Amino acid sequence: MPASSGSEKPAAAGIGAVAAQADPDVALMLRVQQGDEAAFGDLFRKLAPRVLQYMRRLVGHDARAEELTQDVFVQVFRFRHRYRPDSRLQTWVFTIATNLCLNELRRPERQRRVDLWARQDDEGRPDEPALADPNAVDPEAGAASRELARRLESAIAALPPKQRAALLLSRLDGLAYEDVAAALGCSEGAVKALVFRATQGLKQRLRDHL
Amino acid sequence: MRCVRAQRWMTTALDDELTGRRRRALDRHLARCEACHRELALTDRVLTALAAVPTEVPLPAGLEQATLRAVRAANAPRAETVGWGGWLEWLGHPVPALAALSAVLAIAGAAWWRTGGPPVSSSVPPVASRSTDAPSTARSAPPTLVAVATERRLVPEPSEPPPDLAAAPDLFVDLPILLNIEKLRNFDAILTTTVDGGTRAPEESGPPSG
Repeated sequence: MPASSGSEKPAAAGIGAVAAQADPDVALMLRVQQGDEAAFGDLFRKLAPRVLQYMRRLVGHDARAEELTQDVFVQVFRFRHRYRPDSRLQTWVFTIATNLCLNELRRPERQRRVDLWARQDDEGRPDEPALADPNAVDPEAGAASRELARRLESAIAALPPKQRAALLLSRLDGLAYEDVAAALGCSEGAVKALVFRATQGLKQRLRDHL
Repeated sequence: MRCVRAQRWMTTALDDELTGRRRRALDRHLARCEACHRELALTDRVLTALAAVPTEVPLPAGLEQATLRAVRAANAPRAETVGWGGWLEWLGHPVPALAALSAVLAIAGAAWWRTGGPPVSSSVPPVASRSTDAPSTARSAPPTLVAVATERRLVPEPSEPPPDLAAAPDLFVDLPILLNIEKLRNFDAILTTTVDGGTRAPEESGPPSG
């Protein structure tokens, strides 16, 4: 892996030092910026599980989600010098992930594909959600919880891509509306509208099951 | 307050982010609107279900290694590009491309100037050509280079083979071209000979069809 080629400006270094103290992710990313491969591995192990889950829900295809997750981290390393420590690393990474996903969903050949849930039904594979509730202990409660999780995942998968991305980033990944707006390239007001419509869509689909 | 606006504020209210005045207005509406009250409860259940959805997924085996390999490959120095693709990449960098083109033209021009112009036709004696160009060439190029160039042009073709070749006349006797030299000498006769032993005019012979 190549060594760092950019020289940090003093002001940026100062901001970086402060931000690194406040956010351990930033400290990790500053090491990645210096070409530290071990730090990149740590960063991957820390963020990839969330990015992969986000990708799976957004593209609805496990294998493609894994490829896209790989692409996200290749881009994270490739453009590591563009990251500024005064912004949240998670926001920056999810912005890359969202752009890659939305580009993938815009591809014509992608639009001809059937979504994950419909495909599983057609192939007769077990109609399981991406993840069952890991906290479920009681079998009956666990079954109900899994059923709700399955329906919820189906309802999320049925949302339009931008609504889905806005909902996932704001409600599941905990990004602020401002950060979601940056990731989606739209205004904060537009994000609120997207999340509202997404929530309304989920309510319509889950009305009889909640 | 209308139900539409009340529904828009529900999520914000459930997140405890609705300001005091709006919160009171929403509460007043909910107290008298049973439908919105039910809608608020449903929204609450949807948001609760969303909050329980896992945001991480275990990474598949090999994804980290595959990503690290992809990162290394993406950051490795590029191999020499073959074909037009590599040249077309320069179109994206007009300034370096023009600089490189200028440098190539300057080097080619200097080389052309030093060697005294375009290649001389074989019908023109090299010495005569040299004599007309000599003054300008002598001014611009170092004497040693002129001498070398002149010497190269004036080397006569040997009239006799080198002594070591002359001492071994059978050295190349087994070469296929020498074995078939007789056929090559009689190529026209072979070409115009028909199967029945007759001959045909050379203009009748054409390239084989297909």
